Amino acid sequence: MKKLLYLSFALACSVGFAQTQDDSEDKKKDWGTLTGGFESIVQWYNDDTGLGKFAEDEHVRSNNYLKLDYNYGNWFAGIQVESYAPMPLLNYSPKLDDSGIAQYYAMYKTNKLEVTAGYFYEQFGSGLILRGWENRPLGINNSFRGGRVKYQPSNSLSFTGMYARQRDGFEVSEGEIFAFNSEIDLTNLFKLQSSSLSAGFSYVGRKEDIPEEFQNTGFDEMTNAFSARLDYSGNSFYSGIEYITKSDDAIVNSQRFIENFVEPGSALLVNLGYSQKGLGIDATFRRLENMNFFSEREASGNVFNENIMNYLPGLTKQHDYLLTNIYVYQSQPAISVPDPSLLKFGEIGGQVDIFYNFKKGTALGGKYGTKVALNASYWAGLKGDFNFTDRNAEIEYFGFGQKYFSEYSLEVRKKWNRKWQSIFYYVNQYYNQRFITDQRGEVNSNIAVVESTYRISSRQSARMELQHLWTPDDNKNWAGATLEFNLTPRLSFYVNDIYNYGNDDKDEQIHYYNVGGSFARGATRFAVNYGRQRGGLVCVGGVCRFVPQSTGVTFNITTAF
Amino acid sequence: MSIVVVFLMYTLQANAQKEIPNVSVKKLDGSSLNMDEITKTKGVKVISFWATWCVPCINELDAISEVYDDWIDETNVELIAIATDDARTKKRVKPLINGKGWEYKILLDENQELQRSLNITVIPHVIVIKDGKIVWRHTGYQMGAEEELYEVVKKNAK
Repeated sequence: MKKLLYLSFALACSVGFAQTQDDSEDKKKDWGTLTGGFESIVQWYNDDTGLGKFAEDEHVRSNNYLKLDYNYGNWFAGIQVESYAPMPLLNYSPKLDDSGIAQYYAMYKTNKLEVTAGYFYEQFGSGLILRGWENRPLGINNSFRGGRVKYQPSNSLSFTGMYARQRDGFEVSEGEIFAFNSEIDLTNLFKLQSSSLSAGFSYVGRKEDIPEEFQNTGFDEMTNAFSARLDYSGNSFYSGIEYITKSDDAIVNSQRFIENFVEPGSALLVNLGYSQKGLGIDATFRRLENMNFFSEREASGNVFNENIMNYLPGLTKQHDYLLTNIYVYQSQPAISVPDPSLLKFGEIGGQVDIFYNFKKGTALGGKYGTKVALNASYWAGLKGDFNFTDRNAEIEYFGFGQKYFSEYSLEVRKKWNRKWQSIFYYVNQYYNQRFITDQRGEVNSNIAVVESTYRISSRQSARMELQHLWTPDDNKNWAGATLEFNLTPRLSFYVNDIYNYGNDDKDEQIHYYNVGGSFARGATRFAVNYGRQRGGLVCVGGVCRFVPQSTGVTFNITTAF
Repeated sequence: MSIVVVFLMYTLQANAQKEIPNVSVKKLDGSSLNMDEITKTKGVKVISFWATWCVPCINELDAISEVYDDWIDETNVELIAIATDDARTKKRVKPLINGKGWEYKILLDENQELQRSLNITVIPHVIVIKDGKIVWRHTGYQMGAEEELYEVVKKNAK
């Protein structure tokens, strides 16, 4: 709590500073500009007769982030102060249990040149080879600390070179990262009129000492990865391809080296799309073999998504409803061989999206048109075999092995009249729990959602959701509902509940209810929520974090200045 | 504690960020664009941060899409929809906007550099700029909120 007050004080000071700077603007003196953002999430966990006693330390916990950026001409500098006091929220990494300046940077930037020292975020291509990013709800901050130079000699060429260690809690990784990227726009070179073509090449090297007992076992301190990609975009047709190869490296399972097991890695990503007014089609294929890439080898398989250098999201549709987010696919890029019945060498599969708009005035379109979105995805393990005596894996290139996940979904959006509009959503899923989350069994499920919004007046509206999940497997059927009332465009309240009424165990037939409200004004938003959190995966952008179930009050404030 | 929070909220309002940082974003054809190419032109513009997976964002852009022609006729406003989708969902941006028939200028902020520099943590987030300066911001969308947004646009277009 004390730390929180200090933070508020720091914030108040910075605001004061911003004010002085406003005054001086009047005197036509330029002292530069100071901007920033503040976010605080406070949770108070209480004992719940339905879920059991809260068995952890500290019932009240908070995550707080204060970011300040200063700019004067071509010069930029900033810090991010983070405070997890008295402890981080449930299931955030224990490495975050601290307060202080977590990140800082200084940067010089002109139109052609950008030089950064300190902490920075970076992404090469789609992130398949390198991505440093921040996602607070997931507890991810994989930024880099070191130096970076970006140089853009012309409009069609840009280069990036960097050397860094990766942020790891309030520290940085053991491993060092050397990386280079180039982006080349070939549109002018080939004198393309109505289309564009671009290429990219990247290199990422990770250097980390090898523990004594594993030295001279067939891999080097330095692991090298290379990426080449080509993107084409025409009037209505577009496509992209990316290929990555990664040099021999030790296989590490559950944060332990497997002796004498060394494999290279590779990735292939192909995307094709076609779109015209009222119609869009997109298809993606991806193959990942031993493509997990960490800034520390022994971080492999850590549950907090720490030390991850690249971005390998599950390529499936990102759903927005509570019951559609129970069985969420996560990509399976790693080689893991815990026992002969559970061999994993990577993943192969793809997805297709179709968007179509039935025009106004047609039979299916009605007065306002009808919008339809279809998605289908299929993911399987790479087919291969592992010899436990020789420690040798044989992996087929286009071999589809054990099925991991499949899904198809249909979304229909319909506006009935000026007052009513609805969304219908249907999902069919197959989820292989044994291979995805290391639990037993497979889950076949069907999910239906109906959402309707009614406009009461020009400023007020009400929204209702009904959801149901049918499955004969795992925890059986669920039902859910949401009611939301928007009092003004700034103030809204909601109540929702999901109920596992089909559970075989009567004690597990639990209501996970939540009530809350939010108020937004300008760049500030304040929200409060009371209820039960379902235990399981919380996923954002195809990356998931496991959270235990809990009951409590959450306060969240976020602002920008 | 809550008094401190409320106090901070109001002081912060008075000191809101006025500039759009000159961050590089991508156009749909993959080429880069610096934000100052947008902020150095005159007139009123609406910058909307959205993502293909964000239902309220899509509701907002759908709602504006229906009246967008009227908005342009009356105020000459331009809406720039900045997709914050990362590699997982970025491929859906192009087919989705065409499928929906939106006529906005679409830009991609793939590693959320622009979003972060404006300290936006929740989307949808709408910013109204006049002659390159921020005059209004709003987080979240509820049915009908586009009318409040249009009032702001009209007031600044005069």
